[in-house]
Amino acid sequence: MIVVKNLSRHYQMGPTIVKALDDVSFTIEGGEFVAIVGPSGSGKSTLMNILGCLDSPTLGSYVLAGEEVSHLKPNQLADIRNRRIGFVFQSFNLLPRETALENVELPLIYQGVPLKERKKIALAMLKRVGLEGREKHIPSELSGGQRQRVAIARALAASPSILLADEPTGALDTKTGVEIMELFHALHKEGSTIILVTHDPGIARQAERVIQIQDGRILKDLPSKEWAA
Amino acid sequence: MKAGALVENIRMSVRSIASNKVRSFLTALGVMIGTGAVIAMLALGAGAQKSVEGSLQALGSNLLIVYSGQPRGGALIRRSTTNIIPTITDTDIDAIRRLIPNLVTYLAPESSANGQAKFGSTNVNVTIVGTGVDYPSIRNVRPVVGSFFTPLELDGRKTVVVLGSQVYQDLFQGTGDPVGQKVRLNGLSYRVIGVLERKGNSTTDSSVFVPITTYKRYVSGADKYALVNVQAASVEVMREAQSAIEKELLRLHRLPTMDSADFYIANQLDLLNTLQGVAGTFTLLLGGIAAISLIVGGIGIMNIMLVSVTERTREIGIRMALGAKTGDIIAQFMTEAIILSVGGGLFGIGIGYGTSWAFSKFGGIASEVNLLAVILSFGFSVLIGLFFGGYPAYHASRLDPIQALRYE
Repeated sequence: MIVVKNLSRHYQMGPTIVKALDDVSFTIEGGEFVAIVGPSGSGKSTLMNILGCLDSPTLGSYVLAGEEVSHLKPNQLADIRNRRIGFVFQSFNLLPRETALENVELPLIYQGVPLKERKKIALAMLKRVGLEGREKHIPSELSGGQRQRVAIARALAASPSILLADEPTGALDTKTGVEIMELFHALHKEGSTIILVTHDPGIARQAERVIQIQDGRILKDLPSKEWAA
Repeated sequence: MKAGALVENIRMSVRSIASNKVRSFLTALGVMIGTGAVIAMLALGAGAQKSVEGSLQALGSNLLIVYSGQPRGGALIRRSTTNIIPTITDTDIDAIRRLIPNLVTYLAPESSANGQAKFGSTNVNVTIVGTGVDYPSIRNVRPVVGSFFTPLELDGRKTVVVLGSQVYQDLFQGTGDPVGQKVRLNGLSYRVIGVLERKGNSTTDSSVFVPITTYKRYVSGADKYALVNVQAASVEVMREAQSAIEKELLRLHRLPTMDSADFYIANQLDLLNTLQGVAGTFTLLLGGIAAISLIVGGIGIMNIMLVSVTERTREIGIRMALGAKTGDIIAQFMTEAIILSVGGGLFGIGIGYGTSWAFSKFGGIASEVNLLAVILSFGFSVLIGLFFGGYPAYHASRLDPIQALRYE
C-alpha cells in the first residue's frame, strides 16, 4: 500500500540545511494499523505531511497505492489527497459555518460526486461514526468527541486508501479519547489502513505496529507488543 | 471545474456573504453607488441632449437667420436684435425670395427696438419687433388667441399688434379677451389682434409683434433690416440654401468673400451640432467621473476579499487538504467577488433609475435612462468583480496547505 524508500526532506534555514527527514524507508501493507511516534521536532510531522501528500520529499521515493507521488505537481497532489487520503486532525478542522453533513460532503464535492449520491454517502458515514440525527448541527453545536467523529466521517467519505490521523485524541479528554480510539479499532477491523501520528506512547501502543522517529531517522520499527516491552 | 461545482460555489459564496451581512452590504454599496452614478449621470447627459434638441426645435425647423454685422456666438438663440446696425436691404430680401420654392420655403425680415407698451395705467418695457407674415411659420410660434397679422395688414401698414405671452400677462393680468383692445406702443395706439403661445424664452414672450411696414414707418425710420428669418425647404438643402444666400448677398453688397461681409448666416444645423457636441462632452465627463467611483467600489471589493482570504486561511487549508485544486479555490473566491459586484450592480441599476427619476421629478432637470447605459454600467460592474476579485482569489489559491492548516 505504502512503499517509502530513502525518503529525505531538507529545509534551508539561512545558511544551514536542516534534515527534517533523513533517509527513511519502510513499507505499510493495506489493512495495517501503524503508529508513528516521536517527540516534537523528531520529524514525524514532516513525515506525516509527506505521507499525506501535503508536502513533497527532497529525495527518495514514495509509492502510494502503486503510484509514485513524490514528484507530482500541486494539483495532482490535491487529486491524490482527495481520492487516497482521509485526514483526521488534532483540532478537527471542520468548516465552522457548514453543518456536519456538509462537512462530510466536502471531499465528495471536490471529487465531483452528484448531490444526491453525495448526501447518501455522507449520511451513511455519519451513521457509521454514531452521529445519526446530528446531520444538521454545525460544529459549535457539537461536543469535542462528536466533532472528531464528524472529522472521521469526512475522512472516510471518499473511501481513501489510508486514514491519516494526526494526534486525533490530543484535544479530547481521556474518556472521549478512548471512545475515539475504539472507533479507530473498529474501522481497522473493517479493513481500513490507519496511520496514527502521536507523541503519546500510550496511544501508540494501541496500534499493531509502531514506527518511532527521532532526529529525522527511524529509531525503531516494531510490532507494538515488542515496542512497548 | 465540474458543472455541479458552480452551484456548489454559489451556495458557499452566498453562505459566506450572508454570514457577514453588514460587511457584504458595505462592500457591495461601493459598486451600487458606482453603477447608480454611471447610469444617473449618463441619463442626465442624455436628458441634456434631448432638451437641447427640443429647445432648438422650438426655435423653428430648418432655420437660417441672416444677420446684419459680424458673426457672434449663439446667434440663433439670442433674439434681441436691438443693438444691431441693420445692413440688409429690400433688394437682399427680394434676392432671397427668388430662392423660393427650391431652397427656401418662407422668409420674414425682422428688426426690433426697445419700447414701452401701455394699456390703461399699466406700463411695460417690451421689445417691439417688426416682421413679416410668415414669422410664426418659421419660428414655430402660434397665436393662442386671435391671429397673427395678414398680408393685407402688412401691406396697409396697419397699427395692429400681436402680444408675447408675458406682455399679455403684464398688461392684462392674464384675464379678459385682449383682441380688439387698444395698446399704446411708444405713445401710438395699436389694436391688439392676437396673443402668442408661451415659448419659455423671455425674448419672444416679452416682445410685441407689428408688421415690418408699420415698424418702419412708426418705430424706426431705417430702410434696412437687422435680420431675415429664413426657412430652408428641407434639412438636406440647408447648406445649399445658406451658400446660395451668401453668394447673392455678397454680390449685392459688392463684397469678395464672407471674411469681409457685413452679414452672416446662422445655421440651425451648426448650432445643433455644436450643442450636441457640448452635451456629449458633458455626458462623457459626468460618466467618466461616475466610472471612477465604480472603480473605487471595485477596489473596496478587492480590499474586503483580501481580508476575507486572510480570515479564512484555515478554511482554505482544510479545503486544500481535502482535495480542492487551485482552480477550485480561485473559483470559490471569484464567485464570491462576482456575486458582490453583480448584486451591487443590480441594486445600482435601481439606484440609477431612482436618481434619474428624482432629478426629473424634484430637480426639474431633464434626465433619461437609456438601456445601453444600463447594460454598459452593469457589464462594467461585472468586469470589476472579475478584475478586483481575481487577485485575492489567486492569492488564496497560492497558499501552502501546511501553513494554512496551522493558521490561527
